[in-house]
Amino acid sequence: MVDRLERLTDLVLVLLHDQRPRSLREIAEEVPGYPPPGEARRQAFERDKRTLREEGILFVTEPIEGPDQFGYRIRAEDFYLPDLELEADEQTALNLAVAGIHFGDPSGRDALWRLGLAAPTGHQPLADLPALPALPVLWEAVHSRCRVTFGYRGGARTVDPAVLRFHGGWWYLVGHDLDRDAPRTFRVDRMEGRPSVGDPGSAQLPEAFDVTGALPEPWQLGEGEIVPVEVLVDAVVAPRVIHELGESAVTDRRADGSVVVRLEVSNTAALRSWVLELAERAEVLRPPALRDELVGWLEAVVAAGGN
Amino acid sequence: MGRVDAGQRLRRLLAILAWLARRERVPVAELAHRFGVGPEELIADLELAACCGLPPYTPDQLMEILIDGDEVVAHLGPELARPRKLSAAEGFALAASARAIVAVPGGDPDGALARALAKLDAVLGERDRLRVELDEPPSLADVRAALSAGLQIEIDYHSASRDELTTRRVDPHAAVFLDGNWYLDGYCHRAGSLRRFRIDRVNALRTTGQALCHPAGPTDPPSSDTPFVPGPDNVVVRVAVDEWGSWLADAVPTLAVGPSPDGRTEVTLAVASPVWFGRLLVGLGPHAEVLDSPELAAAGAEMARRVLARYQDSPSG
Repeated sequence: MVDRLERLTDLVLVLLHDQRPRSLREIAEEVPGYPPPGEARRQAFERDKRTLREEGILFVTEPIEGPDQFGYRIRAEDFYLPDLELEADEQTALNLAVAGIHFGDPSGRDALWRLGLAAPTGHQPLADLPALPALPVLWEAVHSRCRVTFGYRGGARTVDPAVLRFHGGWWYLVGHDLDRDAPRTFRVDRMEGRPSVGDPGSAQLPEAFDVTGALPEPWQLGEGEIVPVEVLVDAVVAPRVIHELGESAVTDRRADGSVVVRLEVSNTAALRSWVLELAERAEVLRPPALRDELVGWLEAVVAAGGN
Repeated sequence: MGRVDAGQRLRRLLAILAWLARRERVPVAELAHRFGVGPEELIADLELAACCGLPPYTPDQLMEILIDGDEVVAHLGPELARPRKLSAAEGFALAASARAIVAVPGGDPDGALARALAKLDAVLGERDRLRVELDEPPSLADVRAALSAGLQIEIDYHSASRDELTTRRVDPHAAVFLDGNWYLDGYCHRAGSLRRFRIDRVNALRTTGQALCHPAGPTDPPSSDTPFVPGPDNVVVRVAVDEWGSWLADAVPTLAVGPSPDGRTEVTLAVASPVWFGRLLVGLGPHAEVLDSPELAAAGAEMARRVLARYQDSPSG
């Protein structure tokens, strides 16, 4: 009895060879291990076809002359990439990159395998990035310019995708939202279900769409009026606040090491969350209305929590 | 069928053949190590491959692979060495990994990765369309310098969970990026044990000029562990949040998330630090309710009082 791995390997070699379509009858003559003609042979072949499809190896069906009418082959252009001509140091660098990034699945290793590179095993990863099932789907959509539709916060959104971006620990899709006719940013982990993807070329970004622009901060994600807000932060948290906002946000440096930062806010609820995360290490200075609102919020928490 | 299904075995075999096609002679042990397979299983698969080829399966049509002592000797056609099409998941993982490393300071010292990426982009997609940013806190460069030089360091560290500033001597072991933050793993002399520090909370870093007393050992926990592991001192608490407050489930490590009977979302957390939990509750305000543990419920009010005191002390700012 022929091992199934042997039959699969021969099948791939035969269907790639000389790029001629072969009928199932010819295949069974050339590849050892198929049952005699009949239903069992067809089932075995369908099973092999399915296994290979799961491995990304696709058959095309083409008409042929003779009584069998149609045959199968694996198109070279579906099976091979153009040669990347990677130098030795470039191969090593790719190996290290895949070893350094942990995605929670073996896709990176499999990619190296398909390129004829072999990742060293047992490396300690340098970074852990969240792997989400929607990411490869969205990546295809981005570079094949496909319109995508997905559920988001209870509604359906239709978007022409521009960029897939990892920032601050989250994956984002940036694109043109067709219903709102405006650029929008979506957290990929908040998409509901698998995004459905339109045909290649179905997406059309407005010409002026900025694919390299900065992601908005949470407090800029509001539809409200833009209000300048000043926040005083203590010395102990100043370095990371300055790192987060940039030096240009600093309007005053005090002798005790504390700093005043200025933010342009269109979503005051998000700003409140950000300030309260710094607890008693930060204080809204102005505008007075926002300061009063924050005091009211804190008083409500005290009242609700009892003693 | 064995432990590994036929598809996965084929995937591995095609990869091994591609690797062999460029080399001709490779030690069995090296091949086994690279492909994460036992030597016996490897030899069995190679012996099987040696029977594969094209009809009429005469010796000249079979793959020429033989095991010569500790080595595999192969003469395979150039077709087998050609790079193969990637699936969407593979192409994405490769492109994202390479971009992430290029983004790390000092991650691509000789530019080889950037060159490889440019060649990949030519066949996989466009440059600007996938961006991976591993935010670099100011102390990261110093931490990495100390790591590569093998130097002990002293850090001024602001622990947000306790809101205290401490100075600690640390033997650094690794810098890792997890859940959106960079962490320093190392032996903390003040704690007398292994500790993980958020690098964005390292306010200052100095080298001590001393050798490492506790270098990384083979038994250390791997750095891919989640930064937060519930311990015996943790209190498990259930919090009900309304729709506005549902960000809680994304923002912190949770033990369970599910609907509560009144239509809100119930989030179960393990709390190590009441200060940390209090800060969460203050941020959530009226949008959250602690369902059990009255002590922890009071942590929100306690924290709110502390923050309020600051506003009352400086009425004008």
